[in-house]
Amino acid sequence: MVSVLLIDDDTELSKLLEEYLQSEQFELESAHDGPGGLEKALGNHYAAVILDVMLPGMSGLDVLKQLRQKSSVPVLMLTARGSELDRILGLELGADDYLPKPFNPRELVARLRAILRRTSGSSAAAASQPIHLAGVELHPESRSVTCSGKPINLTGAEFDLLYTFLRSPGKIISREDLTQAALGRPMSPMDRSIDVHVSNLRRKLGSYDGDQERIKAIRGSGYVYLLPGEQS
Amino acid sequence: MKYRSLFWKIFLCFWLAAAAMIAALNVMLWLSIGNEPNPERRRGALGEALNLYSESAVQVYDSEGPKSFEEYVQRSMKEAGTEIALFDSNGKPLVSQSTPEVTSVAAEIQQTGQHVSHITSLGRLTWGRPVEAPSGKTYIFVSRLRQPYIPRGLPSWGIVLSIVAAGVISYLLALYLTSPVKKLKAVVQSFAEGNLDARVTPQLGSRRDELADLGREFDHMAERIAALISSQKRLLADISHELRSPLARLTVALELARKNATGKGIGALDRIEMETERVNKLVGQLLALTRLESGAERVPPETVALEDVVQLVIDDANYEAKPQKKEVKAIQLDPCRVRGSEELLRSGIENVVRNAIRYTAEGSAIEVSLTARLDTALLTVRDFGPGVPESELAHIFEPFYRVSEARERASGGVGLGLSIAERTVKLHGGSISAANAHDGLLITIELPLSATPAAVTHAVEKQPVQS
Repeated sequence: MVSVLLIDDDTELSKLLEEYLQSEQFELESAHDGPGGLEKALGNHYAAVILDVMLPGMSGLDVLKQLRQKSSVPVLMLTARGSELDRILGLELGADDYLPKPFNPRELVARLRAILRRTSGSSAAAASQPIHLAGVELHPESRSVTCSGKPINLTGAEFDLLYTFLRSPGKIISREDLTQAALGRPMSPMDRSIDVHVSNLRRKLGSYDGDQERIKAIRGSGYVYLLPGEQS
Repeated sequence: MKYRSLFWKIFLCFWLAAAAMIAALNVMLWLSIGNEPNPERRRGALGEALNLYSESAVQVYDSEGPKSFEEYVQRSMKEAGTEIALFDSNGKPLVSQSTPEVTSVAAEIQQTGQHVSHITSLGRLTWGRPVEAPSGKTYIFVSRLRQPYIPRGLPSWGIVLSIVAAGVISYLLALYLTSPVKKLKAVVQSFAEGNLDARVTPQLGSRRDELADLGREFDHMAERIAALISSQKRLLADISHELRSPLARLTVALELARKNATGKGIGALDRIEMETERVNKLVGQLLALTRLESGAERVPPETVALEDVVQLVIDDANYEAKPQKKEVKAIQLDPCRVRGSEELLRSGIENVVRNAIRYTAEGSAIEVSLTARLDTALLTVRDFGPGVPESELAHIFEPFYRVSEARERASGGVGLGLSIAERTVKLHGGSISAANAHDGLLITIELPLSATPAAVTHAVEKQPVQS
């Protein structure tokens, strides 16, 4: 059984999910407010945290912000449908993936599994050598990144995304492959999270001198990581 | 400033009225000066008084002698400021001092033997007549009143000056009357554009007249409207939000039920799932719409490559359209940089394209094209469906608006997609419009291009916050 924490103020939903996830080999613990959830998440070792953005008292985004200062536990965020910016903010603050609420529990399980696969898979990368490329240094073992000597704070998904890019610079990588690599799950139609992750990564890395973007979108195909002076 | 504005009307009316009054007054003065008093006519009360005066003066001289007369003259000078001179019937002065004016009048009386009155250049009346004393001697009495008899008309430069002064006063008056109206207009305009926080009172200062009352009444009205609108919006948002929780439970319960279901039960559960998904989509769209309208979604000043966004939408839309034997084609995709949120723009454009997929005929291809104009990005989406009656074109961006039986629920929409698109485009400072192509509907979206970063930041900031 994998233990997962659910922070959601809807107690009835928590009970139903507990029952459902039980059958999928997840052990669900729940907290019903922000501070309580934060305390639980920091106090225990969960394989993942499911966090609702809409929480009474303390917003889910604030919980995420505080959680990220101390812990790198994978976070799956439940956002309101129709709110694009909640989602972007959540991913920016370091959530690993998101699911619009109301969600299909099958989808929830699929996302959870993807996150867990990815985070456990990253230990395999730990043996890899650091990558140095055009001012960017990536250390797989410590999962740290510096750009022009300055350390850069990346979320798990952004790190995996950058790792994928740096292993094949100058090559076009499709959005499907990037989703698989960074989020550990296949891309679904109308799924825009990979683009959010790419744009966050792009912003955190900054552009080369002379305003040249590091990561360029190739229309209809995907993204490419450019080297300085290189045109797509 | 417009020439038909209230300011000009008030200003010109007051000025013209004042100028006309000044002119009329001057004409009246001029006319009365032109008609000097008829010497033959005894002039009412003044003439009567002067008659008595002359008689008593002559009597004093005649019976009491020059010395008393001198005193009488002095007293008259002192008390009434009236100069008196007395001449004998030959025109010889009987008092030492007399002005040329008086002398000439005396000479005239002596010649004509008639009563004479003159108005001199200073407006003073000189009046005289022959008087017969009780002793039988005839004297010529002349008196000159100190007060100007009639005020003189203003000289022409004075007229010009007073008209100019009237103009200045009219200008200030018009300004005073119309400036609150202008402020009121600006506030009403801003309110109409959706700024429900616009109020007049803070701008009127300490004014306490009818216009200030009007402003306060407007503020009351605005307060009420804002409260009504916000409560209505909040209600919609609350309902949608409250629906989310039971829906979330429903979907989980549904999956739990599915785990134990067999045979026929599964079919019913599929149906339940489909209907749940419909409600789900509706709630999602309602929330998106209320968020766009409430101003909760702010437009970040990011540069967005619109052609990439459109391409992504087309790719995804094709994924959806293929099973329905429909297609989405990009006719032209110019590079266009706009300012705003990529996510919001994508969802806005996606709603337009999805709407087109819904209505286009089977086997047809929707045509999407993005062209860069001088300072706008022009995005057109054309379907090959039944189109929309001309009279209803303006309404299709209203939430839940349904055109006719031709576009009904069976097509799968809830009527919010185009509203979301419209709100999104407006939030980005653009415009959206619909027109009938010969078969099908053509939706045109215009967004301001971010040619120079500075200018565009300004344009995005200029956007009024929708509330």
